[in-house]
Amino acid sequence: MSESARKKQRTSTRESEGQDGTEGTLYADLHAHAHLNPKPVTPFRRAASAGVTPNSRRTPNVPIRTPGTGARTPRGGPATRPIPSRRTAPTTPHAIRALRERAHAARTPGHTRRRSGRIQRETPRDILRDLSRVLARNTQPTEPHLQARPPRNSALDFPEIEDGPDPAVPRLSMPLEDMYDDDSIHEAPPRQSLLPHLPDDVDNGTIQSLEFGRRAISEDPRMFGTRVSERFADLTELGMDGEEYEIDGTFINRRQTLDPQHAFQEGTDDDTTTDIRALTGRRDGRPSDVDLGVFGDLDDEVDEPTFRFTIPQRIQAAAPEDQDEEEGLDASAYDERQNGVYNDEPLIDEQADDNEAGEAAATAEGEDATGVFEAIGWESEHDVEDDAELEAYREETSAIDRSLQTQSPERPTDATKAPRRQRRELMVSAHGLEYPSFPAAVVKRLATGFAKSQGSNGKLSKDTVAVLAQTSDWFFEQVSEDLAAYARHGGRKMIEESDVIAIMKRQRQITSNSTVFSLAQKLLPRELLQQLRMEPLPKAKGQRQKRKRMETIDEES
Amino acid sequence: MAPAAKPPYPRATLRKTLRAHTNQPLSKNVDILVFLNYALFMQRLIREAGIAGKQAGGSAGVTARSVRKVRGDCLRGFRG
Repeated sequence: MSESARKKQRTSTRESEGQDGTEGTLYADLHAHAHLNPKPVTPFRRAASAGVTPNSRRTPNVPIRTPGTGARTPRGGPATRPIPSRRTAPTTPHAIRALRERAHAARTPGHTRRRSGRIQRETPRDILRDLSRVLARNTQPTEPHLQARPPRNSALDFPEIEDGPDPAVPRLSMPLEDMYDDDSIHEAPPRQSLLPHLPDDVDNGTIQSLEFGRRAISEDPRMFGTRVSERFADLTELGMDGEEYEIDGTFINRRQTLDPQHAFQEGTDDDTTTDIRALTGRRDGRPSDVDLGVFGDLDDEVDEPTFRFTIPQRIQAAAPEDQDEEEGLDASAYDERQNGVYNDEPLIDEQADDNEAGEAAATAEGEDATGVFEAIGWESEHDVEDDAELEAYREETSAIDRSLQTQSPERPTDATKAPRRQRRELMVSAHGLEYPSFPAAVVKRLATGFAKSQGSNGKLSKDTVAVLAQTSDWFFEQVSEDLAAYARHGGRKMIEESDVIAIMKRQRQITSNSTVFSLAQKLLPRELLQQLRMEPLPKAKGQRQKRKRMETIDEES
Repeated sequence: MAPAAKPPYPRATLRKTLRAHTNQPLSKNVDILVFLNYALFMQRLIREAGIAGKQAGGSAGVTARSVRKVRGDCLRGFRG
């Protein structure tokens, strides 16, 4: 009833506003939409329909509920509306009560009533109306803004963009032109400023940054150096790599231990080594495959077709062995070796491992002392003519070896330290203190004794002992936790014998039939028994007294 | 029954273990009593493991499996 009155007021205002406002404003558009929308279904009508009502009530309901029939003119809506509410004659008690509540609601103060009604009337029409109220009523139509935007769009080469203002706004907030400029800036400078002539497809992973890529020490940047002589030396180095055991061959020759095998060396040759020799101009190196057959574990290194892979292999293998040998040698020999024979050391070592160690070491030292490059046999013997190249090669190898020497002392020390640490396995308790596990030998001895006393053969397998040792570690942990708790309970910091005795009482190990001493006499060896007996004789008395009180003490502790 | 005449057990090791677990000082003969307790525990563990082994595997006696089976109960029995 009151609603209808309100609605009438509203319609009147709406009409006036609709006539007043210019047609272009958003406000006017919203109003137009609000007019087009169907009228809201009021809860009053719904409640009436829900109840048991005569047929007369249904007929007004149907057209309003369905949107098709509910399409009324806005003016007709409020006019027709009050009619059904007046018509209703509440017959059922439910409907009567509902009507009364409605009347009460009508009497309530205006703002609350209105608010409640608004909550119930959440239709799109009302939303639009609220929106229209929020908006300024006398705003000008927004055409000038719409006209201002398209030129910008066209400037940005987006001619087909929708003229709706909403999608355009976020894009326009971004400085698109600057972005493109930034891209060009990003790509161009580093390459142009530093290395202008590089084509795009060059793999300049390391060249682009003037710093060389970080490599393992074994892949020393010197190997990829820029100087021609260095490069040449690299190639010879690669050749050396293929020929590694060539040196062995000469070495063996000199010692004359493997002569018959040496005869075979002339016939065979490796493909990669020949290629490298073709590159380096050295063709007369002695083939090494037969020697390799002797030291079979090194075969795979030579068979590797890729150079980069073999080089670090050789060097890494060399470093620790060098260290080992250095320890046995005096300083002078060490200095000699620094000049360049370092390459050959591992090979010598391997020889020494296979043959008699002492002899080989002696010969190696002699080699080192006299002629440094005697060991590189195939070069020094056969390539006498190209001395300059050889010199370059020697310098290069010595340089690499020096770099190796600086590195080598670190690695072997680590390698030797690691196993020593592993020998002692210390467990860490909850307090962060390290402790050794209880020795398995003691566990085994004890367990074997018990097992024998039981009548079995007393043999315990290894894993049984391991499990027993683990269990005893657990046991000690548990016991010491309990002891700590007991001492704390007694207000002591020191853990005393009484705590252990209390624990054993709790465990029913100490009963009226078995005292600590009877148990100790049964289980402990004599030394321990004596040590135990020496001190706690007074305690034994006290303990007997305690034992009488034991029933109460038990529950306490 | 008792272990052989040798050093019966490393006292220092046991004391270290106990001190690490308790983080408290030990009085003089605690470790001996603890070892006594441990011997009792071991006795019971071996006994029960032997029983369990005989029940399960027949003639096997004390095996790692039987020890694993009974050690939980034994440890619980030796709670203070």
